[in-house]
Amino acid sequence: MSIPDYMQCAEDHQSVLVVVQPVGIVPEDQFFRIYKRISSVCQQSIRSSQRLLYIRYRHHYPPENNEWGDFQTHRKVVGLIAITTCASAKEWPQTSERFHGQKEVFGSTLYDSRLLVFGLQGEIAEQHRTDVAFYPDCDSCPDLERRVEDFVESIFIVLESKRLDRTTDKSGDKIPLLCVPFEKKDFVGLDTDSRHYKKRCQGRMRKHVGDLCLQAGMLQDALVHYHMAVELLRSVNDFLWLGAALEGLCSASVIFHYPGGTAGKRAARKPSISQAADSGKRHRPGAQELLIDPGALTTNGINADTSSEIGRAKNCLSPEDIIEKYKEAISYYGKYKNAGVIELEACVKAVRVLAIQKRAMEASEFLQNAVYINLGQLSEEEKIQRYSVLSELYDLIGFHRKSAFFKRVAAMQCVAPTIPEPGWRACYKLLLETLPGYCLSLDPKDFSKGTHHGWAAVQMRLLHELVYASRRMGNPGLSVRHLSFLLQTMLDFLSDQEKKEVTQSLENYTSKCPGGMEVITLPDGLKFPPVPFTKLPIVRFVKLLNLPVSLRPHKVKGLLGENMSSKSPFIYSPIILHNRGDERCKKIDFQWVQGAVCEVQLMVYNPMPFELRVENMGLLTSGAEFESLPAALALPAESGLYPVTLVGVPRTVGSITVNGYHTSVFGVNSDCLLEGLPGVKTGGCMVEVVPSLPRLLLSTSLPRSPHVAASEDISSSVALQLFNGETQTLTVTLDNIGTETLETLELSSKIISTKEKLLGDILNWDIQEAQSHLPLLPGCSLSLTVNIRVKLDFSGQENLLPDLSDDGISVTGLPISSPLRQVLKPRPESKALSADPGKNEHTHFKTLEAVMTFKYSGGGGHVEGFYRELCLGIHVDVEPSVFFTRVSTLPATSMRQCHLLLDVFNSTEHELTINAKNNQDLLLYASECQRMAIQVDKFEFESVCVQPEQSQQQWETERQQAQGSLINSTLSILHPSLQREGEASVEGVLNQLVLDHLQLAPLQWDVLVNGKQCDCDIVTDCRVGDPVSLEVKLTNHSKKEVGPLALTLVAFQDYQNGIQNHDLQDAVTFIGSNTFYIDKVNPTFSSTCTGALLFLYTGDFYLSIKFQDDSTRRDLPPAFFGLPTVHIRALESPIENGA
Amino acid sequence: MAVCVAVIAKENYPLYIRSVPTQNELKFHYTVHTSLDVVEEKVSAVGKALADQRELYLGLLYPTEDYKVYGYVTNSKVKFVIVVDSSNTSLRDNEIRSMFRKLHNSFTDVMCNPFYNPGDAIQSRAFDSVVSGMMVQAC
Repeated sequence: MSIPDYMQCAEDHQSVLVVVQPVGIVPEDQFFRIYKRISSVCQQSIRSSQRLLYIRYRHHYPPENNEWGDFQTHRKVVGLIAITTCASAKEWPQTSERFHGQKEVFGSTLYDSRLLVFGLQGEIAEQHRTDVAFYPDCDSCPDLERRVEDFVESIFIVLESKRLDRTTDKSGDKIPLLCVPFEKKDFVGLDTDSRHYKKRCQGRMRKHVGDLCLQAGMLQDALVHYHMAVELLRSVNDFLWLGAALEGLCSASVIFHYPGGTAGKRAARKPSISQAADSGKRHRPGAQELLIDPGALTTNGINADTSSEIGRAKNCLSPEDIIEKYKEAISYYGKYKNAGVIELEACVKAVRVLAIQKRAMEASEFLQNAVYINLGQLSEEEKIQRYSVLSELYDLIGFHRKSAFFKRVAAMQCVAPTIPEPGWRACYKLLLETLPGYCLSLDPKDFSKGTHHGWAAVQMRLLHELVYASRRMGNPGLSVRHLSFLLQTMLDFLSDQEKKEVTQSLENYTSKCPGGMEVITLPDGLKFPPVPFTKLPIVRFVKLLNLPVSLRPHKVKGLLGENMSSKSPFIYSPIILHNRGDERCKKIDFQWVQGAVCEVQLMVYNPMPFELRVENMGLLTSGAEFESLPAALALPAESGLYPVTLVGVPRTVGSITVNGYHTSVFGVNSDCLLEGLPGVKTGGCMVEVVPSLPRLLLSTSLPRSPHVAASEDISSSVALQLFNGETQTLTVTLDNIGTETLETLELSSKIISTKEKLLGDILNWDIQEAQSHLPLLPGCSLSLTVNIRVKLDFSGQENLLPDLSDDGISVTGLPISSPLRQVLKPRPESKALSADPGKNEHTHFKTLEAVMTFKYSGGGGHVEGFYRELCLGIHVDVEPSVFFTRVSTLPATSMRQCHLLLDVFNSTEHELTINAKNNQDLLLYASECQRMAIQVDKFEFESVCVQPEQSQQQWETERQQAQGSLINSTLSILHPSLQREGEASVEGVLNQLVLDHLQLAPLQWDVLVNGKQCDCDIVTDCRVGDPVSLEVKLTNHSKKEVGPLALTLVAFQDYQNGIQNHDLQDAVTFIGSNTFYIDKVNPTFSSTCTGALLFLYTGDFYLSIKFQDDSTRRDLPPAFFGLPTVHIRALESPIENGA
Repeated sequence: MAVCVAVIAKENYPLYIRSVPTQNELKFHYTVHTSLDVVEEKVSAVGKALADQRELYLGLLYPTEDYKVYGYVTNSKVKFVIVVDSSNTSLRDNEIRSMFRKLHNSFTDVMCNPFYNPGDAIQSRAFDSVVSGMMVQAC
């Protein structure tokens, strides 16, 4: 006996073995259908007695096992059911023959047999035979079960008779010696008359009877017989049979204690009605099992025999004893090499009992023992079976790891190199069954939570084996899935070398079968969820990026409530309701634009020791339609955080949620969802998409500036270098490179706050011209001319500048002075100053920055009220050109004019020419300072000052500016060497005193000589001897009335050498009074007084008009009374030529 | 004398496992892993009986052909497993006990390290040297 039946359990001892076999050709499915129906009759209550007969069916049973039938009767084949198909009557004799042949095989032990014939009809089928049943086909045999029951009953009758026969066989007849096959030769020539031999015979027979009693359902009798057998056999040291007797005792006790059976999974035993009622109680292990259970009495059909009840409890082993006896029995079996199978089966049975008793430790000892039982040369298939059974048993006692270990060994055995046709499929299947034992689930989701917990080394090995087995099975998809799983979940445990190997083989596999995101389902329904590579690369941070500044949409403001939060009744509240809910779904405060390329930045990290090539990396989104533009990247080994930007284009309007990203690494496509990723930070994933807007590209005539202006909003900027006062033209070209028509365009500018005092706007443009091109179709462009003019302060106040010392000319007005300058003042000056020490300071640059903002809109976005902004930064380095170091005025000959004296300093390194309106050019060498005088018209400040409500200060500045701008136009600077020109302004230079002088008095004095207006430089000609009429007219432009005033005319001659001759009584004579009297003049009125004078000699005469009385002048400034000096040239009259 | 020393976390994953370098490391992984079945069984059995004053030392978990596997469970359910060669008969229960005690002390030191994160693999050099001492000692 060499083939163990691992499925055996203790209660099999009470069953009778029936072999069901096909005879001739029977289709397999048909056979098993019949077999199933037959085996449903597995327990049978016998009508005559109330006992139960259990039947064990086998469709295959090795005859050599049958030979052990005397040793343990449940191994004996007592019934044979042959199944055959017979198409015609002709085949019948042959079939019958075969059936008899079959009977021969188990002939010695058979109690009864049956033949089931299918398909045969006709007269043969008509004949009535007890051992043959005819059925037309396998579906129409309604009385099959009944026939089997009959058959079982007949077996029982034989069994019962045998039992009675053996039991009562107590006469002096010689008891035959029962023996197992390998013993037979041992007893040859033994003295059969010895007491020892007789006892041995007796003992073995007792045991045999016990077996029969057990099978026949007489548990009590069996127990008694077993006990006796144990006594007998112990005395003669017949260990093998002693073991069998002990095992029988155990089996009987187990049957008694655990009517539910110990087989566990094989729930073949149908509990009878009475058992079912209290089966729950029965399953409990423990001492109370020993108590007489009324349920058990009816079940076992021995309640009639009440006398045995006491004995029953006594004879039956307690649960603890069962194990002790099993141990003993196994140790006896262990003495015989040929009883290995028996020993093994006993171990298995004991383990099953212990499993029910929940005594895992002891069970494991039995199993440990079973592992070492040597059954000689086992076939590979038997080895697999053995390991599988061990695994199952370990599982039964709750040793899942051990179970997994043996299952894996079994799996490996399936593909052992010695096997000619390795069963990869079986191996794979077994390997899958080991997964729970190694705490391995093939769902990557289970691994994403926290750190990895498990036996990585062991798990990795198992995964490798799965990969290999699935590949050999010819299912590359599976191996890719397993390998991806290995790489994803075990990454932390792989060494660098292993990482390389795994990825290499993965690439090999995927070249044949690319990995995807679909769930792989095995034929048996097992599902393998997809394995997204969330660790290749590892993503740490996901951030949706705003559009570049120039492409950002802005909402047109002005709609009330647009910016107000509708949630709060307050316009402003310091208490912000923190919405700590789902941060991932938090809305982002910027918008994307339909049709514009949008970016999402990921911070990724390559954990591999080699360059990681990620292909086809794109975004997974939901919400509005989004066209993801995949990117391919190569991450350097152990990269550290590496920024990656994924782009896409929103195609429709609405909100978009970024859910994750997809990658293709090593040929495996994975969709990684952010919510499943540990340790990923996001700044919100939901963004609003607004309708499309046009897009403009800005280009300028000037080169782009490399250095970006201070503000980050600038999309492009230009830089230029200008001399102070210079003007440059900038042409801005706007190309509509988008798909929408440009409908509106607005332009504004802003000067970024600067410390410099700026005179006038730097930027001037004409928007009308540009707007006339609108709407601008896609692909078209428009251009705009912008004038850049820099005019900074020309007063080099903070500079250490050389100035011209007063050279005797009476200068009214104060120098523009700094304290420093005061100190330097006494220094004797030379005009051509070698200003080397201060040179660097003069030429330092000043920086001006301005931003031009183009607001434009169009298309769908325009309808929704969105626009885009394009900012052009303008960076101007202003190089100083000239400085006015000192300003003063000199009255001109005309009272309406005045000379402005400017000390102009050339701070450039080039010579330059300065030109005022009506002056000749002034050439100024580098670092040279010269004075220039400009004749300027006096300024009527009343015309400027029209708004009386302005404050004094504003009024002042206004006046200054007005004055400055008047003068400004008269001054132009030329850089001949550089061919550049510009304008200088005195705007900031003028101070109050100078202005006072520049100001036209509110009292306008007009002096007319001979009816001709007479002013400073005008020389009036008159004849000697002719009376010259003189008229003085006062027009009051002031707001107050003036007068009365008295004027005196004084004539004098100027020799142009500083000497004036006032003694002219004999040369000039006044006709009438030389004193005029002007009465009160009301505002806006005028008053005129006239006189005359006569020149007696030729010559140049001057007339100065002076005020006699000072009393009226006190309350008015002296400038109000600035009357022109009249210059009259008296010419000889032709008549008095001789005189 | 020991051929393999392992520390296993409460959740039954290895915190530390080290074996004699000459032999197949994976084999010891399997040995220790399967021994956990027995440890669990023993712990649950003992736990029922005496919750408070149970013996930390579990004794021989199971013998294999070549090795003997011993177990020890701390009060925080951290398991220590020591595998010794079966041929080494000089080892008594007492020696094994003292080895476990030493191991436990060293493990406590590791846990006292404020930079050690409970649940992480043990990388302490001091612990390593204690284990090395156990593996070399009897040779």
